[in-house]
Amino acid sequence: MSDVLDQAVLDVLRSLSAPGEPDVLTEVLQLFMVEVPPRLEKWRNAWAAGNIQAVHRSAHSLKGSAGNIGANAMFAVCKELDEKSRAGDTGAIGSLVDALGVEYGRVQAEIERLLHT
Amino acid sequence: MVPWQVLVADDEPVSRTVVGAMLKKAGYPVLFAPDGEQAWQHLSTDDPPAIALLDWEMPGLQGPEIVQRLRARESSTPTYVILLTSRDSSADIVQGLRAGADDYVTKPANEDELLARVNVGTRVVQLQTALADRVRSLEDALANVKALQTLLPMCAYCKSIRNDQNYWEKVETYFTQHSNVSFTHSYCPNCYERFVRPELEALEDARAAQERQRRR
Repeated sequence: MSDVLDQAVLDVLRSLSAPGEPDVLTEVLQLFMVEVPPRLEKWRNAWAAGNIQAVHRSAHSLKGSAGNIGANAMFAVCKELDEKSRAGDTGAIGSLVDALGVEYGRVQAEIERLLHT
Repeated sequence: MVPWQVLVADDEPVSRTVVGAMLKKAGYPVLFAPDGEQAWQHLSTDDPPAIALLDWEMPGLQGPEIVQRLRARESSTPTYVILLTSRDSSADIVQGLRAGADDYVTKPANEDELLARVNVGTRVVQLQTALADRVRSLEDALANVKALQTLLPMCAYCKSIRNDQNYWEKVETYFTQHSNVSFTHSYCPNCYERFVRPELEALEDARAAQERQRRR
């Protein structure tokens, strides 16, 4: 059992499925895999272009996605990015760029594992 | 309980889907809006959703702006607004509530807390709806009372009343049409002496006269 995704959150998502309806957990995880990569790309572009407002907006939205699937470590990085970019602290953001990539990679691997088992 | 419709407005698809699934599981019909403009389109109709969960930060219109617009409109049954916010500083929450939101939920939403707060919203909506219905029926009753408080032209001799269309109507007809009053016909003791007794006596005399003629 991995702790990349919070088991309690996954259990809640699984319990939301209505009988005869598609599984909510599967739906949400698939949505995450479709929605997050382009926003991560957008975030990297904004950071490369030095557009701090766009960096903040993207970090904020990524934080929401991570929080909703119980990706606690990725959520923590996004939360810090959200706060630092709101404050305009570019030095702190630079040190978090790699961390976000690493955390996203772990989440992605875990989701793939969950969806294919 | 009436299943009040709930609007979920959030630009972040994962959050929108999760919050929507929580509400659907609890039996609420759910409407979705992926941005502030579309949320406003749902809320500015003649029959807006009873409860709205609005994300604080959305492209286009943001949550507090939508609430301000909503509160500027006159309504006897205003939409109950819960702000969805990942900000947890009390200054932000105060700003949202000042703008006219009824409550807030921090993201990511906890299922039990979210539903408890939405249930509070349904209680408020139910009370407001019942109150608005009561006010409407009282207003109708008051309009009827006012109609009967005007000067009515009445014929001094036959007591007919001239109605708004300039026709003379019997008192009974007029009041039956303009109020919930209906009449049963009877007579008072004075009129019994003045009209009924003489009529009965005349009938009795006529019958006696007929009897006498028959015997002859």
